Amino acid sequence: MTTAVASHAHPPTSTGLDHRKIAIWAFIGSECMLFASLISTYLIYKGRSVVGPFPHTACNPPLCAVPLKPILNIPVTSFSTFVLLMSSLAMVLALAAVENRGKPGYEGILGSSKFWLLVTIILGTTFLGCQAYEFTSFVHEGLTIRTNLFGSSFFTLTGFHGAHVTAGVLWLITLLAIDMKRGLEPKDALLVDISALYWHFVDVVWIAIFTLVYLIK
Amino acid sequence: MATAAVSPSYAHAESTANSGIWSWLTTVDHKRIGILYLFTALSWFAVGGTEAVIMRMQLQGPNGRVVSAEVFNQLFTMHGTTMIFLVVMPLSAAFFNFLIPLQIGARDVAFPRLNAFSYWVYLFGSLFMNVSWLFGMAPNGGWFGYAPLTTMAYNPGLNIDFWMLGLQILGVSSLAAAFNFITTIINMRAPGMNLMRMPMFTWMAFIVQFLLVLAFPVITIALVFLQFDRFFGTNFYTMTAGADPLLWQHLFWIFGHPEVYILILPAFGLVSEILPTFSRKPIFGYPVMVYSGILIAFLGFGVWAHHMFAVGMGPIADSVFSMTTMLIAIPTGVKIFNWIFTMWGGNLRFTVAMKFAITLVALFTIGGISGVMHSSPPADLQQTDTYFIVAHFHYVLVAGSLMGLWGGIYYYFPKFTGRLLSEKIGNWHFWLTFIGVNLTFMPMHWSGLYGMPRRIYAYDAGQGWEIFNLMSSIGAYIQALAGILFAYNIFRSRKHGEIAGNDPWEAPSLEWSIPSPPPDYNFEVIPVVTSRYPLWDIKHPELTTEVPHSRHGDERNDVSMGGKHVGAFHDHLAAGTPEAGVNPNAKQASSKVSLKTAEELGIPMPYPTIKPFWVALFMTLMFASLLMIHKDMLHLAVAGVIGFACLMAGFLYAWLTSPLEPAHH
Amino acid sequence: MPFHSRPRRLAQAALTVALVALLAACGQNHPDSIFHRRTDFNRDVDYLFKVLIYAGTAVFIFVEGILVLTLIKFRKRPGQPEPEHVHGNTTLEIAWTVIPLLILILIGIPTVRTIFKTEAVARSDALQVEVVGHQWWWEFRYPQYTTTEASGKVDTVVTANELYLPIGKTVNFTLHSRDVIHSFWIPALGGKRDVVTNHTNYLWMTPDSVGSDEFNGACAEYCGTSHANMRFKAFTVTQADFDSWIAHQEQPAVGSETTGPALSADSTAKVTTATPGVGAPPSAGAVNAQVAQAGFIAFPRDKIPASGVPETPLPAGLTFDDNLLASGNVENGKKLVTTGMCIACHTEHGVTMMQAVVGPNLTHVGSRTTIAGAMYPNDPRHLARWIKFANGMKPGVGMPTFGIGQYDPVTLKGIVTAAGGFTDAQIADIVAYLTSLK
Repeated sequence: MTTAVASHAHPPTSTGLDHRKIAIWAFIGSECMLFASLISTYLIYKGRSVVGPFPHTACNPPLCAVPLKPILNIPVTSFSTFVLLMSSLAMVLALAAVENRGKPGYEGILGSSKFWLLVTIILGTTFLGCQAYEFTSFVHEGLTIRTNLFGSSFFTLTGFHGAHVTAGVLWLITLLAIDMKRGLEPKDALLVDISALYWHFVDVVWIAIFTLVYLIK
Repeated sequence: MATAAVSPSYAHAESTANSGIWSWLTTVDHKRIGILYLFTALSWFAVGGTEAVIMRMQLQGPNGRVVSAEVFNQLFTMHGTTMIFLVVMPLSAAFFNFLIPLQIGARDVAFPRLNAFSYWVYLFGSLFMNVSWLFGMAPNGGWFGYAPLTTMAYNPGLNIDFWMLGLQILGVSSLAAAFNFITTIINMRAPGMNLMRMPMFTWMAFIVQFLLVLAFPVITIALVFLQFDRFFGTNFYTMTAGADPLLWQHLFWIFGHPEVYILILPAFGLVSEILPTFSRKPIFGYPVMVYSGILIAFLGFGVWAHHMFAVGMGPIADSVFSMTTMLIAIPTGVKIFNWIFTMWGGNLRFTVAMKFAITLVALFTIGGISGVMHSSPPADLQQTDTYFIVAHFHYVLVAGSLMGLWGGIYYYFPKFTGRLLSEKIGNWHFWLTFIGVNLTFMPMHWSGLYGMPRRIYAYDAGQGWEIFNLMSSIGAYIQALAGILFAYNIFRSRKHGEIAGNDPWEAPSLEWSIPSPPPDYNFEVIPVVTSRYPLWDIKHPELTTEVPHSRHGDERNDVSMGGKHVGAFHDHLAAGTPEAGVNPNAKQASSKVSLKTAEELGIPMPYPTIKPFWVALFMTLMFASLLMIHKDMLHLAVAGVIGFACLMAGFLYAWLTSPLEPAHH
Repeated sequence: MPFHSRPRRLAQAALTVALVALLAACGQNHPDSIFHRRTDFNRDVDYLFKVLIYAGTAVFIFVEGILVLTLIKFRKRPGQPEPEHVHGNTTLEIAWTVIPLLILILIGIPTVRTIFKTEAVARSDALQVEVVGHQWWWEFRYPQYTTTEASGKVDTVVTANELYLPIGKTVNFTLHSRDVIHSFWIPALGGKRDVVTNHTNYLWMTPDSVGSDEFNGACAEYCGTSHANMRFKAFTVTQADFDSWIAHQEQPAVGSETTGPALSADSTAKVTTATPGVGAPPSAGAVNAQVAQAGFIAFPRDKIPASGVPETPLPAGLTFDDNLLASGNVENGKKLVTTGMCIACHTEHGVTMMQAVVGPNLTHVGSRTTIAGAMYPNDPRHLARWIKFANGMKPGVGMPTFGIGQYDPVTLKGIVTAAGGFTDAQIADIVAYLTSLK
């Protein structure tokens, strides 16, 4: 008779993948629908605001009491988009560093997972800083979440994305803390792998937002 | 496995040494969590049913004055919300929890503590929403909560706040559970259990998890908009700012239609377990059943606007959604025919479970036919928002989902508790339910066609509606009586029911190969699966040579299951000559044989933990603190959110940093 | 099993009773049935419904027939061999995929044709009616019928909760909402259409196979507390009666024209038929005499079937001395209405001070058959109580409480004179005035 699974410890998983890896993919699938709803709402309400400021067009009297310029600042956001893209690159290198710890080619600072995690965190934080700057300048120019449909849908969409980046940064900080405390080994690669999946997802979502909200008039 | 001869497989297991309240608060065992879901959901069923009975008392005759208009509106809102989110979904979750690991041959779900968390969130969320009754501020916007009626301008009370925050909390529960079950099914199947060998219930559950994962974020966002509007003054549903009230409707129904399949597919799955067992025949067209389930789910995302034929979307949109809706009837019809042909040529044993399952097939057909009638927009314009629609979806949800779930309870109660429900009381329960359901909902077709709108708390005499409403009310009282019998049956049978044994129904799937109730580790040895009907392969090897997706011949004999060689099984199963579906061997099972504990077997079991309970509680309180914004106590709200968030984070940290189970030996 | 038989016999008995009850119900009168084929719309729906119900019944009988046959034929019998394990049958499975598809195509073709027919733009010579949904009453405007006052102000014919439709003419409803989403529905005349905030919807129909008749309408979309009380009446009348009615509606009411520069016939734009007399001070008898002269000005109440008369019971504890109603003073009532709190919400043509559009237009309120969203018949008895304590008569209503001493659940106070309250005698005067506004 077979006692193929005689061991009483946990049997191997059906796919050979860790549970957490499957779960994070399911989670990302769910997040896709979340952002799809937010982005669709933004697009549905685009151009339906009854008062300014507007994203791509000026608002002049009598529609607005004082003339308002188009509010989106494309150069600043292009910069922050570039920063976020670069953070994904740093994340890839951090994962590679963890997976290949001790292997040739992964010596020194450029092969250090601590370094690349820190770079990712700094780039992510820079992105958040740009968003904070953007939000405050919008408020000074008269656009709040209450102003009009554009304000409500814009701040909610980008705010949700910002919250996701913030959560990602906090997650990476805990990884960095573990790395500092005991060092992340190749056996810990999964921890970094799933956070990297999340981080890349958040990055990809931003590409969609940047294109649909900022670039397409 | 030399131990095989020692333990009779029908032993009534006293597997979990720990008992008492604390063990339930800290449990991470998927079976106990399933039982918690089951009894919590049944309690809410009593509440939602009472709400329905009060409404039927009000509508029993013209111009009823049992409750006021406002209370009536709260009643129908909470009746819908309760039955959908607090009864049918959690009842399905009870079966997901209990059955999925057993059916796929696993020892638990992928994330046992997350599973406990899902339950506690559900419990606290449901309590939070119903606490509103104590304030006299129960939600009053309808379960569909159409904006702008739910906005501050038209609904300044706390009613809607309870509703939207409650739904958000419940959404967390559903999503967490869905990630858990997806991972469990993908990753924890026993060796040999490929996807096309999974039991039908697990298949339907698998599909439902994807629906949950993809549909819930949409209503989450719709509710976030509403929350922001009500709390922070944004404009998503502010009509004066140019908002479009159809935004809510689209988002709601993109969630809401898949939700319908979230409610019905688990019942379909249960019926697909019950019918083959009591027909003693495999399910007819297994692959078609699987694919039709997937197709229903897939099409379910493309039909949402058929709830909106009256809003004026234009002829093209109406035509497209009409066609997609009609298409969905095809896979559903295929299921009905496959069920009937599962029974065709069988050896039908009419147990209570079987009767409920057959009733689903018979009555869901009616709901399906009226569903096709709504899919034609011009005809739907005369039917939508009338009692005809009420009749339709109660035939789908009561005569469909609930019949399947009741059947599932009669079928699986022995596995849950080790004891059978009384077939005698069950028969009364079944026939009263059958009469009550038809008497309540069949006349509603006529009230609707004779012009009675939905959601009205009073109507005048002389419209020809009186007789139908009277019949509906009497039917509702009969259903209430049936419900009381059901409750009595459950409470009586839990202590005094017949001992069930491993496999009282001679069923084919893995969960019946282990004791009832199963030991906390489920399977002493993880089984190796070679076909869709592992237990039948053993019992009727001569019948199973042509089973698709199974291995053949000697390969199958070389398999252990339930800790025993198949030969041992064969002897035991062959011994019984079942009568009325109950294995008479079960009665001999009073001789108690203790099963080995997990520790003795060296199976690592997760530690019980209270942390998910606290995380769920503080998360609920964090959401509840938002109510203070409404009361213009912003500082209290902020303090509450931050305070509870810190507490939640603290327990979450403790949860994530404590080990799940003892280190492996 | 002996215990099977009792519940099963119970089920058989119950089903028999249910069938008998259903048959009994079939003989009843169903004024709001969707099966009245009195408009082109309902005939189209009726055709579709028949296709659907015939196809559905065929499917139902077929499916339940096979099911019952299976249950009888294959029920367990002693000594039966183990059933053969059949796993499927490709031919059968293809058959029950393709046959439903064919049935659906059969349904789909007329469906799409009817969609495009009923949702097409209405013919250009249609009667235009603007429907405005309010919580919880209906405003009906006839934008093709306007009058211009001497001041240049344009008045449109506006009614509340009563719709007059000429027989045989297509009517095109333009639907708007002032607040939340409602749904406009006259079951016996045609399908409903939602009245959506910030949207304009259309619905047209031709009430042709119909006599002079009364129909019930309702709001079909849940719209808040008094959703059930948002009903209305639709009257189909002959074209001549309709013309007479509209001409009357274009004028200020008879009773209102005792003060100020009354509108004369030549200041109106489109009067086509005889105008009611003007100028005489209104005593009840005189008003009735004038109305009689004016031809058709309101649907005759004696032609409204019993099912069309609202029966909402009066709230318990709401008292009013009905003897006062006989002695109501029209002049005094007029003063109270046109200078009091009523002007904050209501419009009355010909009264300069009354231009507000919060509540129903009162111009011809005396000629209407119902009040409060067709909740109560429009008679002095109900009207008086309505003014005294509307909130008790209709849950959640916007109309304030006016009866002195009456406890107001909205302000949580008793009403006093200083707060704009009226005594029962004053209310009787107001009722006398409003009733005179034919």
